[in-house]
This record gives sequence, structure tokens and C-alpha cells, in this order.
Amino acid sequence: MIHFDNVTKVYANQNRPALDHVSVDVDKGEFVFLVGPSGSGKSTFLRLVLKEERPNSGAIHVAGKDLARLSNFKIPHLRRRIGCVFQDFRLLPNKNVYENVAFALEVIGKPRRFIRKVVPEVVELVGLEGKAHRMPDELSGGEQQRVAMARAFVNRPMILLADEPTGNIDPATSIGIMKVLDRINRTGTTVVMATHDAAIVDSMRKRVVELEDGKIVRDQSRGVYGQAY
Amino acid sequence: MRANFIFSEVWIGLRRNLTMTIAVIVTVAIGMALLGVGLMINSQISSMKDFWADKVEVSVFLCKKNDPFPQCKGSGGVNAQEQAELKATIEAMPQVQQVTVENAAEAYKNFRNQNANNTVLLSAIQVEDMPESLRVKLKDPEAYGPVIEAVKGAPGVSNVVNQKELLEKFFGLLEKLRWSAMTVAIILVFATFLLIGNTVRLSAFSRRRETGIMRLVGASNLYIQLPFVMEGVIAGLLGGVVAAVMLIISKVFLFDGVQLYLSPNSQLSWETVASVISVTMVFGVLICVLASFFTLRRHLRV
Repeated sequence: MIHFDNVTKVYANQNRPALDHVSVDVDKGEFVFLVGPSGSGKSTFLRLVLKEERPNSGAIHVAGKDLARLSNFKIPHLRRRIGCVFQDFRLLPNKNVYENVAFALEVIGKPRRFIRKVVPEVVELVGLEGKAHRMPDELSGGEQQRVAMARAFVNRPMILLADEPTGNIDPATSIGIMKVLDRINRTGTTVVMATHDAAIVDSMRKRVVELEDGKIVRDQSRGVYGQAY
Repeated sequence: MRANFIFSEVWIGLRRNLTMTIAVIVTVAIGMALLGVGLMINSQISSMKDFWADKVEVSVFLCKKNDPFPQCKGSGGVNAQEQAELKATIEAMPQVQQVTVENAAEAYKNFRNQNANNTVLLSAIQVEDMPESLRVKLKDPEAYGPVIEAVKGAPGVSNVVNQKELLEKFFGLLEKLRWSAMTVAIILVFATFLLIGNTVRLSAFSRRRETGIMRLVGASNLYIQLPFVMEGVIAGLLGGVVAAVMLIISKVFLFDGVQLYLSPNSQLSWETVASVISVTMVFGVLICVLASFFTLRRHLRV
């Protein structure tokens, strides 16, 4: 599903590569934690998957497509198959829960009838039934993140990228968020989650890929956050 | 493509940047109106030139009794022989098509017609005050030089007036007007470009949250950019409409007024005005679209 082959990314005006000859494979339906300290290249990895950045060398395949050969014109179609969740939720403050989720479908031109059908389903999936008409500022951080997950998942993407989704949320609420991510993963969606949260990684017992200074230092199935070697 | 979604976005954008939008509309309106005036002067000049082409003459005024012109001092007016000689000389010239004699009575009649409402002037001027003249019609109105050379200073000639020169002065004035209108129009087009650039940039900034999410969920570039371009188009169209009104007003009050004095029957036709309006309209909208597009490329990464 995601295939990195010897990928190096150096940002302009920086000597040290953000990713240094990284090769990794994520299969369909996998749940992968991307761990490592700040600046280790986690976010760069996610941005490369979205083709928001281009690698300096190496090949990236996402959902069977070679990103180097994907024209700019087709990037939106790639992104429709990838959902994204961020630490800061990125909801539209002037739209309610339903409208925020529907927005993701409206802007890719889905018919209204389809939107009316699927949005309530997804709102229920993330555990926000009955709150569809709340505004974001009336929701807790955890609930806002659920809205963001609903928006990321509403178009049934093949891959869900989560960049520290629990970073702004207390540990108790984080468990709920992880349950939703797990539920999404069980529908067959590949989930890649970058995180600092050791407790969550340890409790989930999923594959862990650890980055340090742009290099993969550990790739372990059913791993934990801390040093296991 | 969901039209109502695009239009609600456009409406929000225009309202949020109301002052900038008004600035764009005003600039486009004035710029396009000036461009239109330039085009209208253009076609007015050519229709006036057509009108005058077969009417311009060189008038050779002859001395009358007690003529104040220095050439005529003491001559006691032109005599019949001098007049006939002059006529024969001019007629013999290859550039000349026709020579007619306008005697004092005819001149007086024409004078009365031209100044029908000026009673003071009419009561002051008598038939005797009007000079006789030879009206020289040229084959090519441009080739007046030799004719004027030949008759200027000849005995019995008080003054030579080339109507073409008079007209040329007037056309020169019109052309200056046209060029200044065009220059100001070009400057305003430039200003419009910058203004729209700014408006779009503000608009893109105030909506960066939305566009960020649109990018993320895979909205096509067209879908993301169209609301911004449409804002430009609508501002351009509104400016064009205001410009059209200004052009119609200037046709009715300015052009029709001016041409009445100078050349009847060379009125600017409504078809010309309509085509000028459509040209400026298209041009205005085009500028807005281009300006939006260029700014978007810089400020809305996709």
C-alpha cells in the first residue's frame, strides 16, 4: 500500500537530510506506529506519502502509483484515497459537525444525495451521534478530533494518515480516539500514525517503525514505544 | 461541479473583501470607460474624416474695397481681369478638380446661415463686408501645397485659407485626447492588475483554512481556484457594466454634442457604441481572470 525505496529528502537550506535512505513497506490493512523524537522525519514521511513534498532520491509508491510519475494534475485523485488527521484538528469553525464532514465530499463534487446518506453514518462511526449540529467550539478536544477523523474517513480512503492525533488530548480521551482509529483500521483501511505517546503505542501492540535523525532504527511488529532491544 | 457551492463561496469572498471589491470595480470601470472613449474617438475621427474628405476646399479670398489686409492696401479691390486670371491659373494646375467663384452675396447668405442665432453679428455685418472668394476643390485634399504657393501674394488675393489645415488642428486635438485616454486606461489596467492581485491574496489568506482542507481531501485545482477567479470575473463584469453606462452617457452628451458643430451626419452609431462596450467588457473580464490566475499561482499552492 505504501512502499518507500531508499528515499532521501533534504529540505532546501538544510544540510542534514530529513529522511536518509529510508526503505519501508506498509501492507494493505496494516496499522503502523511511526515513532521517534521531534525532527526525526515522521512528518516528512507523511508529507511524502501525500506528495506535498518530493523526495530528492528514491522511489515512493502509494496505492500502486509511482508518485514520481504522478502528474500534478492527478495529485488530488491520490489525496482522495488518503485521509488525514492532525494534532490541531483543522476543523472549519463556522461550520457544524455535519457540515465539516460534508465539506470534504462537497469539494470533490459528490452528489448531495450521497452526502446525506454517508455523513450521518460516519458521524455515528466516530461516536458523535446526536451531536451533528454542534459547532466545533461547543465540543471537547476529543470530540473535535473525532469530527476530524470522520472527515478523513467519510470518503472511505484506502489509507489514513494521522499526525500525532492525540497530541492535544488527555490520556483518558486518547483511548477513545485510538478505539475509533482501530475501528477504521478494521474496515480494511491502512492506518499510519505518527506519535510521541508511549502509553498508546505500548497498549495497542501494533507494528512500530522508529525513526531517528531520518533513519529507520527499528521496525518491529507488535512492538512497544521504548527500547525493546 | 456543484454550482451553488462555488457561488456561495464567491459571495462570501466578495462580501468579506467588500472595500477591495469596490476598489476593483471602480478601477475597472474607469479604465474600461477610458479605453472605450479612446476607441470611440477613433471611430468618430474616421467617420468625420470620411465626411470631410470630399468637402474640404482651399478658399482664396479676394481683395474688396478698403480691405484691411496689407496685400490689398490701395488696390481698391480686385478687378474682373485679375479675378479671371487667378481662376485660369488655378484651374490650369493638375491638382485642381474644380474652381467656383463665391460672390459677396452668396458669402453673405452662407454667413447668415452659419450664424443664424448670433443677431449682434448679423446686424453688424453687411453684404459689402463679405469678400469674394475662389473655392478650389482639390483632387487629393492632401496636395494643397502647390496651390497655396501659387496664389499666395498674387495681386488681388487677400488671404488663403486651407480648410484642411483647420480640420487637421481639430483632428490633432481629438487624437491627443484619444492618446491621453488610452494612456490613462493603460495605467489603470496596470492598477487593476495589482488591485486584483491584492484582493485575491487577501481572499486566499482569509480562506486558507478552507483551501488547506480542500487540498487535503483532494479537491481538484479547478474547484479550489474557481471561487477566487469568479470573484475577479464578477468584479470585472460589474466594472464593465459601470463602464458601459459611462460610455453611453459620453456618447449622448459628449460625442453627439461635439459632432453636431463639426460634421452633421457623422454621428457615432449605436452599433459602434455596442461593439466598443462589448470589447471593453471582454477586455475587463479578461484582465480580471488573468490577474486572479497569476496571483493564485503564487499564493495558493496546490
